[in-house]
Amino acid sequence: MKKSSSAKSKKKRGAPRPVGRKAKGEKFTPDMTVEIAGIRFKNPVLTASGTFGYGQEFAQLMDLNRLGGIVVKGISLQPMEGNPPPRIYETESGMLNAIGLQNVGAKRFLDDKLPFLRDLDTQVIVNVFGYSTEDYVRTIEILNQGEGIAAYELNISCPNTRSGGMFYGSDPKLTHEVTMASKKVARVPLIVKLSPNVTDITVFARAAENGGADALSLVNTFVGMSIDIETGKPRLSHGTGGLSGPAIKPLALRLVYQAVHAVRIPVMGIGGISSAEDALEFLIAGAKAIQIGTANFYDPRASEKVIRDLEAYCKRKRVDLNRLRGTHLGFEAAGLKRE
Amino acid sequence: MFNKMAEVRENIPLSGGHYLLSLYSPAQARVTRPGQFAMLRLPNRSDILLRRPMSIYDVKPASRKSKSPALIQVLYKVVGRGTGAMAELKGGDALEVLAPLGHGYFREDYQRKLPQVDEVVHVAGGIGIAALLLAARELHKRGIRQRLFFGGRSRADLVCYKDFGGLVQKTILATEDGSRGHKGFVTVPLENHLAGSERGKILLMVCGPWPMLEACVGLARNYGHPCLVSMENRMGCGVGVCLGCSIGVKGEGHGAYERVCTEGPVFWADHVRWAGGTPEI
Repeated sequence: MKKSSSAKSKKKRGAPRPVGRKAKGEKFTPDMTVEIAGIRFKNPVLTASGTFGYGQEFAQLMDLNRLGGIVVKGISLQPMEGNPPPRIYETESGMLNAIGLQNVGAKRFLDDKLPFLRDLDTQVIVNVFGYSTEDYVRTIEILNQGEGIAAYELNISCPNTRSGGMFYGSDPKLTHEVTMASKKVARVPLIVKLSPNVTDITVFARAAENGGADALSLVNTFVGMSIDIETGKPRLSHGTGGLSGPAIKPLALRLVYQAVHAVRIPVMGIGGISSAEDALEFLIAGAKAIQIGTANFYDPRASEKVIRDLEAYCKRKRVDLNRLRGTHLGFEAAGLKRE
Repeated sequence: MFNKMAEVRENIPLSGGHYLLSLYSPAQARVTRPGQFAMLRLPNRSDILLRRPMSIYDVKPASRKSKSPALIQVLYKVVGRGTGAMAELKGGDALEVLAPLGHGYFREDYQRKLPQVDEVVHVAGGIGIAALLLAARELHKRGIRQRLFFGGRSRADLVCYKDFGGLVQKTILATEDGSRGHKGFVTVPLENHLAGSERGKILLMVCGPWPMLEACVGLARNYGHPCLVSMENRMGCGVGVCLGCSIGVKGEGHGAYERVCTEGPVFWADHVRWAGGTPEI
């Protein structure tokens, strides 16, 4: 399973290589690590909540230890049954979902799911959902008892539950309130996941920052709809659903770019990323890390490929990953030499 | 379960918009069990995002000389964008296949039922036939008496039933337009058969469109026979993470829905919540 160990032993055989920028012609190993709220990620590629289960499901399909981090499916205080089917529908280059946060609940997560995740050599972030501020707080208090959680991602942006979730993400006062209350009890850093379904993302980014968020992640899905013209009914039982996939990438990129410039805390970019090229756009726009979501469904090894190709890009450009961040005015203006 | 690049060997058009697709993937073919399925990723179509879940109809050696299964066969009907693109696949094309998925017909508690019955009755509606052949072959090997009821709109829908010829003792066909076999729904001859059999002595294995499934499940209940249903649903991932394919089952709270891809695709009929919990697709 741990491919990384064999790679390490290979390295050990040769002379120790200094890491960092070197003269042209010499082999260059880019530094891919990023640090967010004191957490060190081996690379900036994480898997997004709700698209990677509890990690275990993908263990047969890829080397989980390659990942910068895993954000697990949204966890609530009590187990949730989710919405009635149909829950998903494919649209052009995208998909609508209204799962309704079906999950095992915080206690069973700690007992059944966390032990596997804890043993992995990657950062584990737990996405937290609640119907009320008190819900969020109590869920975090339970999760605080678990070992091996690197951070919480506060889900104030799920569009598919009747209350809670996006309710908190579409009123800046509530965003501030729930962030502050959660930060007070959280034993590990707090990331707030924002909804794109707002008129001005910067207001919400600042509300979370002022509430004490250590970082932001965005975007959750865009609320969308599809109708079956034969029955006249919506394709999803919930009526509306969250749109994800390549279709939303340009929309997400713009919101991430705006959020980055509105706050001082680090931002993780999410939205339709399926390749290293996509990831680079978000990093250049100023995101410190990225999450891969829907791509995991149709290409279970998408995240592994993104990591590999990002590294190849950095090698080709002879630049450490961190140097690329926020270079949207052009590499020349950022002092990076063109190839 | 693993992900492989598979080569298309054949994609043969049959009647009524049906096709039989043969994919060369020995590692996956060897470990496929009856009732399992595959997720196919269509190449060069960025607008078709998600993989398509397809029953594995049959596994076969790639040549006459060989005995070990190397081909995965998928029987499908063109109904939308995904299957439309599948119909364009040609020999030599390569596509990513995630298989075999789901636990199929031979989960332990399904197996325990077999010694208690005299006969297994397969009921297929249209393309539902695709989920039954491997099960019929396995049951034939074990010497279990079998019967196939196969219904469709017209005879063009009744594809591949001859493959069951050596495996089942009797095949009963039905078409809504009467172009082959019994005229009307397949559930009519099915009911006659169930009514004439001792209660609890038939195991039904049913796959087909939702109204037919519901009708068959009702008959099985009325005549006191155990019934397994192979369910289909839209799927996001096929490996249990997206929770998009969940159907309603008899359970409380978090257990009110189960994933077709992981807990299924084969369920006990009376475990499924038919009203409100199951999508009609």
